[in-house]
Amino acid sequence: MADSKMIVVKGLAKQYPNGVRAVAGIDFAVSSGEFFGFLGPNGAGKSTTIKILSTLIRKTAGQVTVAGFDIDRDALEIRRRIGFAMQEVGLDDLSNALDFLVLQGLLYGLSGDDSRKKAKELLSLVGLSSVAARSVGTFSGGMRRRLDLVAALMHSPTLLFLDEPTTGLDPQSRLAIWDYLRQLNSKGMTVFLTTQLMEEADRLCSRLAIIDNGLLVAEGTPPQLKAQVSGDIVRVLFSSAGEQADMSNIIDYVRQREYVLEVRTIEGGLNVNVRNGGDAVPGLLRLLHDRGISVANLSVLSPSLDDVYLKHTGKQIRESAPTTGPTKSIQPRIRFRRR
Amino acid sequence: MWSDMTKEALHLAARNIRIRVMRPSTLVPSIAISSFLFLAFGYAFGKIASVPGFPAQNYLAFLTPFIVLQAMVFSSGDAGFGMLTDILSGYFDKLLLAPINRFSILFATLFTASLRAIIQVVIIVAIALGMGVSFKTGALGVLVVIWFAVTFSVGWTCLGIIIALRTRSPEVTQSYFVVFFPAVFLTTAFVPAEFLPGWFRVLTRINPVTYILESTRVLVIGGWDWGGLWQGLVVVVIFAGMLMALTTWFFRRATA
Repeated sequence: MADSKMIVVKGLAKQYPNGVRAVAGIDFAVSSGEFFGFLGPNGAGKSTTIKILSTLIRKTAGQVTVAGFDIDRDALEIRRRIGFAMQEVGLDDLSNALDFLVLQGLLYGLSGDDSRKKAKELLSLVGLSSVAARSVGTFSGGMRRRLDLVAALMHSPTLLFLDEPTTGLDPQSRLAIWDYLRQLNSKGMTVFLTTQLMEEADRLCSRLAIIDNGLLVAEGTPPQLKAQVSGDIVRVLFSSAGEQADMSNIIDYVRQREYVLEVRTIEGGLNVNVRNGGDAVPGLLRLLHDRGISVANLSVLSPSLDDVYLKHTGKQIRESAPTTGPTKSIQPRIRFRRR
Repeated sequence: MWSDMTKEALHLAARNIRIRVMRPSTLVPSIAISSFLFLAFGYAFGKIASVPGFPAQNYLAFLTPFIVLQAMVFSSGDAGFGMLTDILSGYFDKLLLAPINRFSILFATLFTASLRAIIQVVIIVAIALGMGVSFKTGALGVLVVIWFAVTFSVGWTCLGIIIALRTRSPEVTQSYFVVFFPAVFLTTAFVPAEFLPGWFRVLTRINPVTYILESTRVLVIGGWDWGGLWQGLVVVVIFAGMLMALTTWFFRRATA
Protein backbone atom coordinates (compact mmCIF):
# COMPACT_ATOMS: atom_id res chain seq x y z
CA MET A 1 0.00 0.00 0.00
CA ALA A 2 1.50 3.28 -1.10
CA ASP A 3 -0.13 5.30 1.69
CA SER A 4 -3.07 4.93 3.99
CA LYS A 5 -5.61 5.21 1.17
CA MET A 6 -8.19 2.44 1.30
CA ILE A 7 -9.91 3.36 -1.96
CA VAL A 8 -8.47 5.36 -4.83
CA VAL A 9 -10.70 6.04 -7.84
CA LYS A 10 -9.52 7.85 -10.96
CA GLY A 11 -11.66 8.59 -13.99
CA LEU A 12 -14.11 5.81 -13.16
CA ALA A 13 -16.83 5.31 -15.76
CA LYS A 14 -19.42 2.66 -16.37
CA GLN A 15 -21.60 2.27 -19.41
CA TYR A 16 -24.05 -0.62 -19.39
CA PRO A 17 -24.55 -2.74 -22.50
CA ASN A 18 -27.94 -1.05 -23.03
CA GLY A 19 -26.14 2.28 -23.42
CA VAL A 20 -26.97 3.75 -20.03
CA ARG A 21 -23.99 5.70 -18.73
CA ALA A 22 -24.38 5.26 -14.98
CA VAL A 23 -21.03 6.69 -13.94
CA ALA A 24 -19.42 9.31 -16.15
CA GLY A 25 -15.87 9.76 -14.92
CA ILE A 26 -15.40 10.31 -11.18
CA ASP A 27 -12.36 10.71 -8.94
CA PHE A 28 -12.23 10.33 -5.20
CA ALA A 29 -10.26 8.67 -2.45
CA VAL A 30 -11.13 7.19 0.91
CA SER A 31 -8.52 6.97 3.66
CA SER A 32 -8.12 4.02 5.99
CA GLY A 33 -10.36 4.34 9.00
CA GLU A 34 -12.73 6.82 7.42
CA PHE A 35 -16.51 6.58 7.55
CA PHE A 36 -17.25 7.71 4.01
CA GLY A 37 -20.74 8.55 2.81
CA PHE A 38 -21.82 8.40 -0.81
CA LEU A 39 -25.03 10.32 -1.40
CA GLY A 40 -27.20 10.84 -4.40
CA PRO A 41 -30.73 10.61 -5.77
CA ASN A 42 -32.32 7.79 -7.76
CA GLY A 43 -30.12 6.42 -10.48
CA ALA A 44 -27.30 8.84 -9.74
CA GLY A 45 -24.70 6.07 -9.93
CA LYS A 46 -24.32 5.12 -6.25
CA SER A 47 -25.12 1.45 -6.56
CA THR A 48 -23.12 1.11 -9.75
CA THR A 49 -20.06 2.64 -8.08
CA ILE A 50 -20.29 0.46 -5.00
CA LYS A 51 -20.73 -2.66 -7.14
CA ILE A 52 -17.63 -1.79 -9.16
CA LEU A 53 -15.57 -1.13 -6.03
CA SER A 54 -16.66 -4.44 -4.54
CA THR A 55 -15.75 -6.34 -7.77
CA LEU A 56 -19.33 -7.37 -8.53
CA ILE A 57 -19.46 -5.62 -11.89
CA ARG A 58 -16.74 -4.42 -14.24
CA LYS A 59 -15.96 -0.82 -14.97
CA THR A 60 -15.80 0.57 -18.48
CA ALA A 61 -12.94 3.00 -17.87
CA GLY A 62 -10.70 4.42 -15.18
CA GLN A 63 -8.40 3.15 -12.48
CA VAL A 64 -9.47 1.74 -9.15
CA THR A 65 -7.42 0.41 -6.28
CA VAL A 66 -9.05 -1.01 -3.17
CA ALA A 67 -7.01 -1.89 -0.08
CA GLY A 68 -3.92 -1.33 -2.20
CA PHE A 69 -4.89 -3.81 -4.91
CA ASP A 70 -5.76 -3.10 -8.51
CA ILE A 71 -9.34 -4.04 -9.18
CA ASP A 72 -8.64 -5.59 -12.58
CA ARG A 73 -5.63 -7.66 -11.58
CA ASP A 74 -6.22 -8.59 -7.95
CA ALA A 75 -9.96 -8.90 -7.53
CA LEU A 76 -9.53 -12.01 -5.40
CA GLU A 77 -7.24 -10.21 -2.93
CA ILE A 78 -9.77 -7.40 -2.70
CA ARG A 79 -12.60 -9.85 -2.04
CA ARG A 80 -10.69 -11.33 0.88
CA ARG A 81 -10.54 -7.92 2.54
CA ILE A 82 -13.98 -6.44 1.95
CA GLY A 83 -17.45 -7.07 3.24
CA PHE A 84 -20.57 -5.89 1.43
CA ALA A 85 -24.06 -5.59 2.84
CA MET A 86 -26.18 -5.08 -0.23
CA GLN A 87 -29.29 -3.08 -0.79
CA GLU A 88 -31.00 -6.17 -2.15
CA VAL A 89 -30.45 -8.31 0.90
CA GLY A 90 -29.01 -11.53 -0.48
CA LEU A 91 -29.90 -14.23 1.99
CA ASP A 92 -30.30 -17.93 1.65
CA ASP A 93 -33.93 -18.34 2.68
CA LEU A 94 -33.81 -22.11 2.90
CA SER A 95 -30.90 -22.32 5.34
CA ASN A 96 -31.11 -21.52 9.00
CA ALA A 97 -29.31 -18.42 10.21
CA LEU A 98 -26.41 -20.24 11.83
CA ASP A 99 -25.69 -22.52 8.87
CA PHE A 100 -25.89 -19.54 6.57
CA LEU A 101 -23.25 -17.62 8.52
CA VAL A 102 -21.02 -20.64 9.04
CA LEU A 103 -20.89 -21.32 5.29
CA GLN A 104 -20.10 -17.66 4.75
CA GLY A 105 -17.11 -18.02 7.08
CA LEU A 106 -15.94 -21.25 5.43
CA LEU A 107 -15.97 -19.59 2.01
CA TYR A 108 -13.65 -16.92 3.40
CA GLY A 109 -11.22 -19.56 4.60
CA LEU A 110 -12.18 -19.81 8.28
CA SER A 111 -12.01 -23.24 9.84
CA GLY A 112 -15.26 -24.94 10.75
CA ASP A 113 -14.77 -24.28 14.46
CA ASP A 114 -13.71 -20.66 14.02
CA SER A 115 -16.60 -20.01 11.70
CA ARG A 116 -19.11 -21.50 14.09
CA LYS A 117 -17.70 -19.52 16.99
CA LYS A 118 -17.70 -16.26 15.06
CA ALA A 119 -21.22 -16.87 13.76
CA LYS A 120 -22.59 -17.39 17.26
CA GLU A 121 -20.77 -14.32 18.51
CA LEU A 122 -22.19 -12.13 15.75
CA LEU A 123 -25.70 -13.54 16.09
CA SER A 124 -25.76 -12.66 19.75
CA LEU A 125 -24.32 -9.24 19.00
CA VAL A 126 -27.30 -8.35 16.79
CA GLY A 127 -29.82 -10.11 19.00
CA LEU A 128 -30.51 -13.09 16.73
CA SER A 129 -29.21 -15.89 18.95
CA SER A 130 -32.67 -17.12 19.81
CA VAL A 131 -33.55 -17.59 16.13
CA ALA A 132 -30.21 -19.06 15.03
CA ALA A 133 -31.82 -22.38 14.17
CA ARG A 134 -34.77 -20.87 12.34
CA SER A 135 -34.85 -20.77 8.57
CA VAL A 136 -33.96 -17.36 7.23
CA GLY A 137 -37.07 -17.25 5.06
CA THR A 138 -39.18 -16.70 8.18
CA PHE A 139 -37.27 -13.58 9.29
CA SER A 140 -38.77 -10.09 9.39
CA GLY A 141 -37.26 -7.23 7.40
CA GLY A 142 -35.27 -5.89 10.32
CA MET A 143 -33.92 -9.32 11.22
CA ARG A 144 -32.89 -9.92 7.61
CA ARG A 145 -30.96 -6.65 7.53
CA ARG A 146 -29.13 -7.47 10.71
CA LEU A 147 -28.29 -10.96 9.51
CA ASP A 148 -27.12 -9.62 6.17
CA LEU A 149 -24.93 -7.09 7.92
CA VAL A 150 -23.20 -9.63 10.14
CA ALA A 151 -22.77 -11.96 7.16
CA ALA A 152 -20.55 -9.26 5.70
CA LEU A 153 -18.52 -9.24 8.94
CA MET A 154 -17.82 -12.97 9.31
CA HIS A 155 -14.28 -12.63 7.97
CA SER A 156 -13.52 -9.35 9.82
CA PRO A 157 -13.04 -7.26 6.68
CA THR A 158 -10.86 -4.17 6.75
CA LEU A 159 -13.28 -2.35 4.47
CA LEU A 160 -17.05 -2.58 4.74
CA PHE A 161 -19.39 -1.54 1.92
CA LEU A 162 -22.94 -0.71 2.86
CA ASP A 163 -25.58 0.03 0.26
CA GLU A 164 -28.45 1.84 2.00
CA PRO A 165 -28.15 -0.34 5.08
CA THR A 166 -31.19 1.01 6.92
CA THR A 167 -33.63 1.72 4.10
CA GLY A 168 -37.03 0.40 5.07
CA LEU A 169 -36.18 -0.18 8.73
CA ASP A 170 -38.13 1.05 11.72
CA PRO A 171 -36.41 3.84 13.72
CA GLN A 172 -35.43 1.51 16.54
CA SER A 173 -33.64 -0.99 14.31
CA ARG A 174 -32.05 1.89 12.48
CA LEU A 175 -30.60 3.36 15.66
CA ALA A 176 -29.29 -0.04 16.69
CA ILE A 177 -27.52 -0.50 13.36
CA TRP A 178 -26.08 3.01 13.46
CA ASP A 179 -24.72 2.33 16.89
CA TYR A 180 -23.10 -0.86 15.75
CA LEU A 181 -21.61 0.71 12.63
CA ARG A 182 -20.06 3.46 14.72
CA GLN A 183 -18.49 0.84 16.97
CA LEU A 184 -17.01 -1.02 14.01
CA ASN A 185 -15.60 2.19 12.61
CA SER A 186 -14.09 3.21 15.94
CA LYS A 187 -12.28 -0.13 16.02
CA GLY A 188 -10.58 0.79 12.77
CA MET A 189 -12.84 -0.62 10.06
CA THR A 190 -13.13 1.64 7.05
CA VAL A 191 -16.76 2.06 6.03
CA PHE A 192 -18.11 3.10 2.64
CA LEU A 193 -21.80 3.85 2.87
CA THR A 194 -24.38 4.87 0.32
CA THR A 195 -27.55 6.40 1.61
CA GLN A 196 -30.43 8.70 0.85
CA LEU A 197 -31.04 9.48 4.47
CA MET A 198 -29.39 12.78 5.25
CA GLU A 199 -29.69 12.13 8.94
CA GLU A 200 -27.80 8.87 8.50
CA ALA A 201 -25.01 10.59 6.60
CA ASP A 202 -24.85 13.44 9.09
CA ARG A 203 -24.68 11.21 12.13
CA LEU A 204 -22.24 8.62 10.85
CA CYS A 205 -20.00 9.95 8.13
CA SER A 206 -16.74 11.77 8.65
CA ARG A 207 -16.66 12.70 4.98
CA LEU A 208 -19.20 12.73 2.16
CA ALA A 209 -19.42 12.84 -1.59
CA ILE A 210 -22.59 13.66 -3.49
CA ILE A 211 -23.10 12.07 -6.88
CA ASP A 212 -25.68 13.14 -9.43
CA ASN A 213 -26.10 11.99 -13.03
CA GLY A 214 -22.95 9.94 -12.76
CA LEU A 215 -20.74 12.84 -11.70
CA LEU A 216 -19.48 13.98 -8.31
CA VAL A 217 -21.01 17.35 -7.49
CA ALA A 218 -19.66 17.89 -3.98
CA GLU A 219 -17.20 16.39 -1.56
CA GLY A 220 -16.14 17.25 1.98
CA THR A 221 -16.87 16.87 5.66
CA PRO A 222 -20.47 17.55 6.73
CA PRO A 223 -19.55 20.99 8.21
CA GLN A 224 -17.66 21.93 5.03
CA LEU A 225 -20.60 20.97 2.88
CA LYS A 226 -23.08 22.81 5.06
CA ALA A 227 -20.93 25.91 4.82
CA GLN A 228 -21.40 25.82 1.05
CA VAL A 229 -25.08 26.58 1.44
CA SER A 230 -25.22 30.30 1.90
CA GLY A 231 -27.71 32.04 4.14
CA ASP A 232 -30.14 30.60 6.65
CA ILE A 233 -33.10 28.32 6.62
CA VAL A 234 -36.42 29.67 7.87
CA ARG A 235 -38.67 26.82 8.89
CA VAL A 236 -42.34 27.67 8.86
CA LEU A 237 -44.91 25.28 10.28
CA PHE A 238 -48.58 25.92 9.49
CA SER A 239 -51.24 25.78 12.13
CA SER A 240 -53.69 23.52 10.32
CA ALA A 241 -53.59 21.18 7.39
CA GLY A 242 -56.80 22.58 5.89
CA GLU A 243 -55.04 25.69 4.69
CA GLN A 244 -52.61 23.93 2.43
CA ALA A 245 -54.96 23.65 -0.52
CA ASP A 246 -53.03 25.84 -2.96
CA MET A 247 -49.55 25.08 -1.66
CA SER A 248 -47.90 25.12 -5.07
CA ASN A 249 -49.13 28.68 -5.66
CA ILE A 250 -47.74 29.78 -2.35
CA ILE A 251 -44.39 28.10 -2.97
CA ASP A 252 -44.09 29.86 -6.32
CA TYR A 253 -45.06 33.13 -4.76
CA VAL A 254 -42.54 32.80 -1.92
CA ARG A 255 -39.84 31.73 -4.32
CA GLN A 256 -40.23 34.96 -6.28
CA ARG A 257 -39.23 37.16 -3.34
CA GLU A 258 -35.78 38.63 -3.92
CA TYR A 259 -34.51 37.60 -0.47
CA VAL A 260 -35.48 33.94 -1.03
CA LEU A 261 -32.90 31.54 -2.47
CA GLU A 262 -34.87 28.29 -2.44
CA VAL A 263 -38.07 26.81 -1.04
CA ARG A 264 -39.04 23.28 -0.29
CA THR A 265 -41.93 21.64 1.43
CA ILE A 266 -41.49 19.71 4.63
CA GLU A 267 -43.85 17.91 6.96
CA GLY A 268 -46.62 20.45 7.69
CA GLY A 269 -44.84 23.49 6.35
CA LEU A 270 -41.98 25.00 4.37
CA ASN A 271 -38.22 25.29 4.57
CA VAL A 272 -37.22 28.61 3.03
CA ASN A 273 -33.56 29.20 2.26
CA VAL A 274 -32.98 32.96 2.58
CA ARG A 275 -29.97 35.24 2.43
CA ASN A 276 -30.40 36.42 6.01
CA GLY A 277 -32.81 34.86 8.46
CA GLY A 278 -33.41 37.89 10.67
CA ASP A 279 -34.14 40.18 7.73
CA ALA A 280 -36.42 37.74 5.96
CA VAL A 281 -38.74 36.77 8.79
CA PRO A 282 -40.97 39.91 8.92
CA GLY A 283 -41.54 39.92 5.17
CA LEU A 284 -42.19 36.22 5.06
CA LEU A 285 -44.69 36.37 7.90
CA ARG A 286 -46.58 39.25 6.31
CA LEU A 287 -46.66 37.50 2.98
CA LEU A 288 -48.09 34.29 4.44
CA HIS A 289 -50.60 36.24 6.50
CA ASP A 290 -51.79 38.08 3.39
CA ARG A 291 -52.34 34.78 1.71
CA GLY A 292 -54.52 33.63 4.60
CA ILE A 293 -52.11 31.15 6.07
CA SER A 294 -51.71 31.09 9.81
CA VAL A 295 -48.29 30.18 11.08
CA ALA A 296 -48.01 28.02 14.15
CA ASN A 297 -44.27 28.02 14.52
CA LEU A 298 -41.32 29.71 12.87
CA SER A 299 -37.62 29.15 13.45
CA VAL A 300 -34.39 30.25 11.86
CA LEU A 301 -31.93 27.40 11.38
CA SER A 302 -28.48 26.85 9.94
CA PRO A 303 -28.39 24.76 6.77
CA SER A 304 -28.61 20.98 7.17
CA LEU A 305 -27.31 18.30 4.87
CA ASP A 306 -30.77 18.19 3.31
CA ASP A 307 -30.17 21.71 2.10
CA VAL A 308 -26.73 20.79 0.79
CA TYR A 309 -28.26 17.89 -1.05
CA LEU A 310 -30.97 20.06 -2.53
CA LYS A 311 -28.50 22.68 -3.65
CA HIS A 312 -26.31 20.17 -5.48
CA THR A 313 -28.83 17.79 -6.95
CA GLY A 314 -31.78 20.13 -7.34
CA LYS A 315 -33.90 17.37 -5.92
CA GLN A 316 -36.07 17.67 -2.90
CA ILE A 317 -36.00 14.87 -0.44
CA ARG A 318 -39.77 14.94 -0.18
CA GLU A 319 -41.33 15.36 -3.55
CA SER A 320 -44.89 16.17 -2.53
CA ALA A 321 -46.60 18.39 -0.02
CA PRO A 322 -47.91 16.53 3.00
CA THR A 323 -51.50 17.05 1.89
CA THR A 324 -51.45 13.75 0.04
CA GLY A 325 -51.90 10.71 2.18
CA PRO A 326 -51.09 10.07 5.81
CA THR A 327 -48.00 11.71 7.18
CA LYS A 328 -46.22 8.98 9.02
CA SER A 329 -42.57 9.37 8.27
CA ILE A 330 -40.65 12.04 10.10
CA GLN A 331 -37.49 11.32 8.20
CA PRO A 332 -37.43 12.83 4.76
CA ARG A 333 -36.32 10.28 2.23
CA ILE A 334 -36.77 8.98 -1.21
CA ARG A 335 -37.13 5.27 -1.55
CA PHE A 336 -36.04 3.45 -4.60
CA ARG A 337 -34.78 0.16 -5.82
CA ARG A 338 -32.48 -0.15 -8.71
CA ARG A 339 -30.14 -2.82 -9.93
CA MET B 1 -5.84 -24.21 -6.90
CA TRP B 2 -7.57 -27.57 -7.31
CA SER B 3 -7.50 -28.36 -3.64
CA ASP B 4 -8.99 -24.96 -2.82
CA MET B 5 -11.66 -25.46 -5.41
CA THR B 6 -12.49 -28.91 -4.11
CA LYS B 7 -12.81 -27.54 -0.61
CA GLU B 8 -15.00 -24.63 -1.71
CA ALA B 9 -17.15 -26.85 -3.89
CA LEU B 10 -17.65 -29.30 -1.05
CA HIS B 11 -18.74 -26.52 1.33
CA LEU B 12 -21.21 -25.27 -1.25
CA ALA B 13 -22.37 -28.78 -2.10
CA ALA B 14 -22.97 -29.45 1.59
CA ARG B 15 -25.33 -26.50 1.61
CA ASN B 16 -27.10 -27.70 -1.56
CA ILE B 17 -27.49 -31.15 -0.07
CA ARG B 18 -28.80 -29.75 3.21
CA ILE B 19 -31.40 -27.49 1.67
CA ARG B 20 -32.18 -29.14 -1.67
CA VAL B 21 -31.41 -32.86 -1.66
CA MET B 22 -32.49 -33.97 1.79
CA ARG B 23 -36.04 -33.04 1.03
CA PRO B 24 -39.11 -35.14 0.27
CA SER B 25 -39.15 -33.62 -3.23
CA THR B 26 -36.07 -35.67 -4.09
CA LEU B 27 -37.40 -38.98 -2.92
CA VAL B 28 -41.11 -38.85 -3.57
CA PRO B 29 -40.96 -38.51 -7.37
CA SER B 30 -38.38 -41.22 -7.73
CA ILE B 31 -40.19 -43.62 -5.45
CA ALA B 32 -43.80 -42.78 -6.26
CA ILE B 33 -43.54 -42.06 -9.98
CA SER B 34 -41.17 -44.91 -10.68
CA SER B 35 -43.30 -47.39 -8.80
CA PHE B 36 -46.35 -46.11 -10.59
CA LEU B 37 -44.71 -46.42 -14.01
CA PHE B 38 -43.51 -49.94 -13.24
CA LEU B 39 -47.02 -50.95 -12.26
CA ALA B 40 -48.93 -49.09 -14.97
CA PHE B 41 -46.74 -49.97 -17.93
CA GLY B 42 -45.79 -53.31 -16.48
CA TYR B 43 -49.39 -54.47 -16.29
CA ALA B 44 -50.54 -52.68 -19.44
CA PHE B 45 -47.82 -54.08 -21.68
CA GLY B 46 -46.64 -57.07 -19.68
CA LYS B 47 -47.95 -59.58 -22.16
CA ILE B 48 -45.79 -58.16 -24.96
CA ALA B 49 -42.93 -60.16 -23.50
CA SER B 50 -44.55 -63.36 -24.78
CA VAL B 51 -44.77 -62.10 -28.37
CA PRO B 52 -42.30 -63.99 -30.56
CA GLY B 53 -39.18 -61.89 -31.21
CA PHE B 54 -39.42 -59.89 -27.96
CA PRO B 55 -35.93 -59.76 -26.50
CA ALA B 56 -36.79 -60.26 -22.80
CA GLN B 57 -38.82 -62.73 -20.80
CA ASN B 58 -39.73 -60.15 -18.18
CA TYR B 59 -41.27 -56.96 -19.52
CA LEU B 60 -40.33 -55.07 -16.35
CA ALA B 61 -36.68 -55.81 -17.04
CA PHE B 62 -37.11 -54.40 -20.54
CA LEU B 63 -38.80 -51.33 -19.05
CA THR B 64 -36.24 -50.65 -16.28
CA PRO B 65 -33.85 -48.49 -18.38
CA PHE B 66 -36.76 -46.27 -19.38
CA ILE B 67 -37.79 -45.81 -15.75
CA VAL B 68 -34.23 -44.90 -14.83
CA LEU B 69 -33.73 -42.40 -17.65
CA GLN B 70 -37.10 -40.71 -17.27
CA ALA B 71 -36.34 -40.08 -13.59
CA MET B 72 -33.02 -38.50 -14.60
CA VAL B 73 -34.67 -36.12 -17.06
CA PHE B 74 -37.60 -35.45 -14.77
CA SER B 75 -35.54 -34.02 -11.91
CA SER B 76 -32.76 -32.50 -13.98
CA GLY B 77 -34.33 -29.03 -13.93
CA ASP B 78 -33.88 -28.75 -10.17
CA ALA B 79 -30.23 -27.72 -10.29
CA GLY B 80 -30.81 -24.90 -12.75
CA PHE B 81 -33.86 -23.83 -10.82
CA GLY B 82 -31.90 -23.82 -7.58
CA MET B 83 -29.18 -21.68 -9.12
CA LEU B 84 -31.79 -19.31 -10.48
CA THR B 85 -33.43 -19.03 -7.06
CA ASP B 86 -30.05 -17.98 -5.65
CA ILE B 87 -29.54 -15.47 -8.45
CA LEU B 88 -32.97 -13.89 -7.95
CA SER B 89 -32.67 -13.78 -4.15
CA GLY B 90 -29.29 -12.04 -4.36
CA TYR B 91 -27.53 -14.90 -2.59
CA PHE B 92 -25.60 -15.64 -5.77
CA ASP B 93 -24.04 -12.16 -5.55
CA LYS B 94 -22.82 -13.04 -2.07
CA LEU B 95 -21.13 -16.10 -3.49
CA LEU B 96 -19.55 -13.96 -6.22
CA LEU B 97 -18.23 -11.58 -3.55
CA ALA B 98 -16.51 -14.40 -1.70
CA PRO B 99 -12.81 -15.00 -2.43
CA ILE B 100 -13.48 -18.31 -4.14
CA ASN B 101 -13.00 -19.66 -7.62
CA ARG B 102 -16.36 -19.02 -9.22
CA PHE B 103 -16.36 -22.39 -10.95
CA SER B 104 -16.60 -23.94 -7.51
CA ILE B 105 -20.23 -22.83 -7.57
CA LEU B 106 -20.84 -24.70 -10.83
CA PHE B 107 -18.94 -27.78 -9.64
CA ALA B 108 -20.95 -27.84 -6.43
CA THR B 109 -24.17 -27.66 -8.41
CA LEU B 110 -23.19 -30.53 -10.71
CA PHE B 111 -21.86 -32.56 -7.80
CA THR B 112 -25.13 -32.16 -5.95
CA ALA B 113 -27.16 -33.07 -9.02
CA SER B 114 -25.06 -36.21 -9.50
CA LEU B 115 -25.54 -37.22 -5.91
CA ARG B 116 -29.28 -36.80 -6.25
CA ALA B 117 -29.19 -38.86 -9.45
CA ILE B 118 -27.31 -41.66 -7.68
CA ILE B 119 -29.86 -41.72 -4.85
CA GLN B 120 -32.69 -41.90 -7.35
CA VAL B 121 -31.16 -44.66 -9.48
CA VAL B 122 -30.40 -46.73 -6.40
CA ILE B 123 -34.02 -46.40 -5.31
CA ILE B 124 -35.29 -47.38 -8.76
CA VAL B 125 -32.94 -50.36 -9.00
CA ALA B 126 -34.13 -51.46 -5.56
CA ILE B 127 -37.76 -51.21 -6.69
CA ALA B 128 -36.94 -53.14 -9.88
CA LEU B 129 -35.18 -55.89 -7.92
CA GLY B 130 -38.12 -55.99 -5.55
CA MET B 131 -40.46 -56.49 -8.49
CA GLY B 132 -38.48 -59.43 -9.73
CA VAL B 133 -36.18 -57.85 -12.30
CA SER B 134 -32.80 -59.53 -12.43
CA PHE B 135 -29.74 -57.78 -13.86
CA LYS B 136 -27.92 -60.07 -16.30
CA THR B 137 -24.61 -58.33 -15.64
CA GLY B 138 -24.92 -58.57 -11.85
CA ALA B 139 -23.73 -56.05 -9.30
CA LEU B 140 -21.03 -54.66 -11.58
CA GLY B 141 -23.68 -54.16 -14.24
CA VAL B 142 -25.80 -52.20 -11.78
CA LEU B 143 -22.83 -49.91 -11.17
CA VAL B 144 -22.46 -49.33 -14.91
CA VAL B 145 -26.21 -48.61 -15.16
CA ILE B 146 -25.78 -46.03 -12.40
CA TRP B 147 -22.82 -44.51 -14.25
CA PHE B 148 -24.88 -44.27 -17.46
CA ALA B 149 -27.75 -42.67 -15.59
CA VAL B 150 -25.60 -40.13 -13.74
CA THR B 151 -23.68 -39.11 -16.85
CA PHE B 152 -26.96 -38.73 -18.70
CA SER B 153 -28.36 -36.73 -15.78
CA VAL B 154 -25.35 -34.38 -15.77
CA GLY B 155 -26.05 -33.56 -19.43
CA TRP B 156 -29.67 -32.69 -18.68
CA THR B 157 -28.72 -30.76 -15.58
CA CYS B 158 -26.33 -28.67 -17.67
CA LEU B 159 -29.12 -27.95 -20.12
CA GLY B 160 -31.26 -26.77 -17.21
CA ILE B 161 -28.48 -24.51 -15.95
CA ILE B 162 -27.95 -23.00 -19.39
CA ILE B 163 -31.66 -22.27 -19.68
CA ALA B 164 -31.71 -20.76 -16.19
CA LEU B 165 -28.73 -18.53 -16.91
CA ARG B 166 -30.00 -17.46 -20.32
CA THR B 167 -33.67 -16.83 -19.54
CA ARG B 168 -33.44 -15.86 -15.84
CA SER B 169 -37.04 -17.01 -15.74
CA PRO B 170 -38.23 -19.52 -13.14
CA GLU B 171 -41.24 -20.37 -15.30
CA VAL B 172 -39.20 -21.29 -18.35
CA THR B 173 -36.62 -23.13 -16.28
CA GLN B 174 -39.27 -25.18 -14.57
CA SER B 175 -41.13 -26.03 -17.72
CA TYR B 176 -38.22 -26.75 -20.04
CA PHE B 177 -38.54 -30.39 -19.22
CA VAL B 178 -41.39 -30.65 -21.75
CA VAL B 179 -38.54 -31.73 -24.02
CA PHE B 180 -38.72 -34.75 -21.77
CA PHE B 181 -41.62 -36.13 -23.81
CA PRO B 182 -40.02 -36.38 -27.25
CA ALA B 183 -36.67 -37.24 -25.66
CA VAL B 184 -37.89 -40.25 -23.71
CA PHE B 185 -40.89 -41.35 -25.72
CA LEU B 186 -39.41 -41.19 -29.21
CA THR B 187 -37.18 -44.11 -28.32
CA THR B 188 -37.49 -47.84 -28.08
CA ALA B 189 -38.56 -47.40 -24.46
CA PHE B 190 -41.58 -49.71 -24.63
CA VAL B 191 -41.01 -52.08 -27.51
CA PRO B 192 -37.98 -53.08 -29.57
CA ALA B 193 -37.31 -51.25 -32.83
CA GLU B 194 -38.61 -54.15 -34.94
CA PHE B 195 -42.07 -53.65 -33.45
CA LEU B 196 -42.23 -50.00 -34.52
CA PRO B 197 -43.50 -48.56 -37.80
CA GLY B 198 -40.81 -47.33 -40.20
CA TRP B 199 -41.18 -43.58 -39.66
CA PHE B 200 -41.13 -43.99 -35.90
CA ARG B 201 -38.03 -46.14 -36.18
CA VAL B 202 -36.30 -43.33 -38.10
CA LEU B 203 -37.16 -40.86 -35.32
CA THR B 204 -35.81 -43.17 -32.65
CA ARG B 205 -32.55 -43.49 -34.61
CA ILE B 206 -32.21 -39.69 -34.75
CA ASN B 207 -32.83 -39.37 -31.01
CA PRO B 208 -29.54 -39.83 -29.14
CA VAL B 209 -31.42 -40.98 -26.04
CA THR B 210 -32.29 -44.22 -27.87
CA TYR B 211 -28.65 -45.27 -27.94
CA ILE B 212 -28.17 -44.59 -24.26
CA LEU B 213 -31.40 -46.41 -23.45
CA GLU B 214 -30.48 -49.45 -25.49
CA SER B 215 -27.00 -49.75 -24.08
CA THR B 216 -28.41 -49.54 -20.57
CA ARG B 217 -30.91 -52.20 -21.51
CA VAL B 218 -28.14 -54.48 -22.76
CA LEU B 219 -26.77 -54.42 -19.23
CA VAL B 220 -30.14 -55.40 -17.77
CA ILE B 221 -31.41 -58.05 -20.17
CA GLY B 222 -28.43 -58.86 -22.40
CA GLY B 223 -25.07 -59.19 -20.72
CA TRP B 224 -21.56 -57.87 -21.22
CA ASP B 225 -22.02 -57.36 -24.94
CA TRP B 226 -19.59 -54.65 -26.06
CA GLY B 227 -21.20 -54.50 -29.47
CA GLY B 228 -24.39 -53.30 -27.78
CA LEU B 229 -22.66 -51.10 -25.23
CA TRP B 230 -20.22 -48.92 -27.10
CA GLN B 231 -22.73 -46.80 -29.01
CA GLY B 232 -24.57 -45.68 -25.90
CA LEU B 233 -21.28 -45.08 -24.15
CA VAL B 234 -20.00 -42.82 -26.89
CA VAL B 235 -23.30 -40.96 -27.17
CA VAL B 236 -23.70 -40.34 -23.45
CA VAL B 237 -20.10 -39.12 -23.09
CA ILE B 238 -20.47 -36.74 -26.04
CA PHE B 239 -23.88 -35.58 -24.82
CA ALA B 240 -22.70 -34.81 -21.29
CA GLY B 241 -19.31 -33.49 -22.42
CA MET B 242 -20.76 -31.04 -24.93
CA LEU B 243 -23.33 -29.70 -22.50
CA MET B 244 -20.76 -29.37 -19.73
CA ALA B 245 -18.51 -27.37 -22.03
CA LEU B 246 -21.42 -25.14 -23.05
CA THR B 247 -22.50 -24.67 -19.45
CA THR B 248 -18.99 -23.69 -18.44
CA TRP B 249 -18.96 -21.13 -21.21
CA PHE B 250 -22.36 -19.68 -20.25
CA PHE B 251 -21.44 -19.69 -16.57
CA ARG B 252 -18.22 -17.82 -17.26
CA ARG B 253 -20.18 -15.25 -19.25
CA ALA B 254 -22.77 -14.89 -16.51
CA THR B 255 -20.25 -14.36 -13.73
CA ALA B 256 -17.42 -12.46 -15.41
